[in-house]
Amino acid sequence: MTGDDKQNPQPQAAAAPMKFDVLKAAIRDAPTAARLGRLAIAARRTVDTPNYFAITSRGVVPHVTPDNLAKHLSDVGGAYMALEDFIERPQQYLKRPAPILQTPSLEFPYSPALGPRPPLHSFTAMPPSVITVLAARRLPAVPAPMGNTNSSVSVFTSTGFQVLTTREYADAVSALRPDIAVPMADLTDKALTPTSKRATRMAERTDDWVKEWFAQLDASNSSGHTGVATFAPVLPVGFPMQWEYLERLSEDYVSASTTNQKEEEGETTRKNHLAGLALYDADVIPDLEDAYPNLTPLPRLSLANPTTPHHVLRQIALGVDVFALPFINTVSDAGVALTFTFPPPPPSSDPSVSRLPILPLGIDMSSPTAGLATDTGPLLAGCACYACARHHRAYVHHLLAAREMLGWTLLQAHNHGVASAFFAGVRAALRAGPAAYDAACRTFAAVYEPEFPAGTGERPRARGYQYAGGAGEPKRNKPAWGKLGGPEDDVAAVEQKKPRGGKTKNSNGAIGTGNAGADIVDGSLAAAVEAVDLQEAGAVPEAQMDGTASAQALI
Amino acid sequence: MSASSAALTFELVAKCSTTRARASILTLPHGPVNLPVFMPVATQASLKGITPQQLENTGCRLCLNNTYHLGLKPGQEVMDAVGGAHKLQGWDHNILTDSGGFQMVSLLKLATITEEGVRFLSPHDGTPMLLTPEHSISLQNSIGSDIIMQLDDVLVTTSPDIVRMREAMERSVRWLDRCIAAHKHPDRQNLFCIIQGGLDLDMRRECCREMVARDTPGIAIGGLSGGEAKDDFCRVVAACTEQLPDLKPRYVMGIGYPEDLVVSVALGADMFDCVWPTRTARFGNAITKNGVLNLKREMYATDFGPLEDDCGCPCCRRVEQEGAMGITRAFVHHNAAKETVAAHLLTIHNVWYQLNLMREARDAIIADRYPAFVREFFSRLYPDGHGFPSWVVDALRGVGIDLLET
Repeated sequence: MTGDDKQNPQPQAAAAPMKFDVLKAAIRDAPTAARLGRLAIAARRTVDTPNYFAITSRGVVPHVTPDNLAKHLSDVGGAYMALEDFIERPQQYLKRPAPILQTPSLEFPYSPALGPRPPLHSFTAMPPSVITVLAARRLPAVPAPMGNTNSSVSVFTSTGFQVLTTREYADAVSALRPDIAVPMADLTDKALTPTSKRATRMAERTDDWVKEWFAQLDASNSSGHTGVATFAPVLPVGFPMQWEYLERLSEDYVSASTTNQKEEEGETTRKNHLAGLALYDADVIPDLEDAYPNLTPLPRLSLANPTTPHHVLRQIALGVDVFALPFINTVSDAGVALTFTFPPPPPSSDPSVSRLPILPLGIDMSSPTAGLATDTGPLLAGCACYACARHHRAYVHHLLAAREMLGWTLLQAHNHGVASAFFAGVRAALRAGPAAYDAACRTFAAVYEPEFPAGTGERPRARGYQYAGGAGEPKRNKPAWGKLGGPEDDVAAVEQKKPRGGKTKNSNGAIGTGNAGADIVDGSLAAAVEAVDLQEAGAVPEAQMDGTASAQALI
Repeated sequence: MSASSAALTFELVAKCSTTRARASILTLPHGPVNLPVFMPVATQASLKGITPQQLENTGCRLCLNNTYHLGLKPGQEVMDAVGGAHKLQGWDHNILTDSGGFQMVSLLKLATITEEGVRFLSPHDGTPMLLTPEHSISLQNSIGSDIIMQLDDVLVTTSPDIVRMREAMERSVRWLDRCIAAHKHPDRQNLFCIIQGGLDLDMRRECCREMVARDTPGIAIGGLSGGEAKDDFCRVVAACTEQLPDLKPRYVMGIGYPEDLVVSVALGADMFDCVWPTRTARFGNAITKNGVLNLKREMYATDFGPLEDDCGCPCCRRVEQEGAMGITRAFVHHNAAKETVAAHLLTIHNVWYQLNLMREARDAIIADRYPAFVREFFSRLYPDGHGFPSWVVDALRGVGIDLLET
């Protein structure tokens, strides 16, 4: 991606939509099973591994428009998408097929340089260079109150929970043509380890579903299926619970060309085969390597949600090639700018500093006490990201304080930039050799704090499809505005009211006069956006203006 | 023809031979701006979610910041420490700031206006505070905007109180004198006066004379877009532009509907600002030459066309072009009110639309075909050739365009 690997620059043949090369395999009995690889998909940018893919919400990397994704997050090689983000059924239109499934593939301009544009790329305006990964559910998924059945899973859409059958999912994949698809897995999406009975059923169902998946691919082989690489799910249960399923993957679905045997075996009978593994738990890898060595050359995508870079390094050491990384979006929403690098900065040469300082993984950009308000330095010294190149800490701090959406956009650019640089550092260290890599990992673990700092700023408004709040759960953010003269409007309590009619700055006075007293529609971005609007339009009572100490400066 | 003051050059490029429309180049400390122009409003030093670079790519070279908001957050001390609003937001082009007076009156209950200034209760702790012309200018000096506005006594134009209206107009003139005296950087910041006087044309004319006599680098027409009838609005703009010198930029404050822009340009105005295009974007609305589309409507769920056919904005252009995204209505529908990106995309489109409308108007003025441009513009909004709003017909008739003529 950043051109840090010189070897093997052959262009991909059109006949092989996806190719994965292990450039530097793990050495047996070395301290680490980490490996260097290269994932190449026709018409997409080649991804050097270990690396990560961004998580999307409703087809977008949160707060990042497609032009900014292409220009300023250009090291992001892939995007993880969930079908559940696209298949809601609004009450009035229960019968309509999901709009995304009607995306025309040919009406879109066809550019020979870019290759045909798959409907999933078209619908989401995803830059052509970015690899798409489609799975049924978001990462992390909101647990469904009702379980899965033998032929379906419960998914959470913006209009509530609904059932998605394996058949519907496979049909959607063949219509949308993601670059990589993860067949449906029977997951509980809960932190608790499933009981052994449940674990067995998870493996059995997933086994059936993957069988069905390949059968369907073979049956409709002439249609659009070619070009979709299947990454079979590996379940978050122990190896003994799922070995039969994994054995089937190894015996039935690994194509001859991806095994280590180099000799020609002729065309395999199956045209569709396993292209990679999607791991919901990375700890299965060592057993997998021992039991089914023909799965080893496959790329391994971790969907195991490592929560910090420490967890990422641990999974890399187990042999993960690509990560879907939800923590980047979460950290940006929390108003935190990441500050870690790999390898960590060298310790101070000052001999009086005897032990290594403990460094934070990020800075809370909302912090009122850290002197950020007037700090015109970059978010992280030496960072090459767009936010650090064009803006400074004082601006991001101001944007978060003012709840301006650009604050989260800039943090996304920065945090994805830090993550990309982290993986580039990991690859460079791996090229230098396992011993050097292992040493760098140990320093990283010693130097950085174990957790991200908690962001003290207000988050962007959570929408219903992101999490299901429990009963009696307090609101995440305080209401941005309320009734004029309402209980929280302390000034109004002692003073008479002044009518605001006709005071908008808008030529028609259409906005800002009538609806100031309307109740907040909770859980809707519209309300958040409207709140900002009314503030701008002049309909927000001053108690809501969230004045700071600097209000005094007006006098 | 051109005229210069310490920090501004105004060059009149062309005048429409029928209407009062003008094309000009306004050169400010951060570069030239082609007039007529629409100025998007980046209230709190950020244009609602889009990066300064994205704003630049729409062609914007002059945007607004609000003094009131920046005075609260980040505050004058931070502004001084950072070195002004350009440095704060990483914007190398021009900025215009209002005086803060409008927000004092519109955002705050219990703002009372005295000769000294605007008294109001602090939004922070409810303590009484005072915004004077001197303080407003001091704040704007700290912000460092290229164009700063005088503090004026704003009154709803529809107010029936003629005595109070006259008082507001005369006080605005006195406050201009105090603003001029307090202004520390006339060499790099341009102070514009604001003409008041409600809907009373004689009072407006009188105010014009007083303000023009003070020879500010530019002139704003204020107090409008506060709910008055469109006819009245047009009459006021026409009465003012008639009196104003040719070689100064004329800024009509708070105007943003495409129809208003096209008519106001015909009446001889050059500069406009409004939050409507960016706000309506966040409500899921796209401005197009055929009218405003509410993309939240179900009919757009499977509409795979661009937001607007033949639009040149980064959202609408075809994906294989450099910097283009190939956004469809269906995609914006999918994310409207659900992901902030939908709002950002519509913001980019709407700002581009407004700026492009003024670019096209300017080209038409230079080619001396502005009347034809106006007809085309309204015929696309009213394709069956009737139903034009009467205020549009009347206002345009006053400057030599008869929309109803076939």
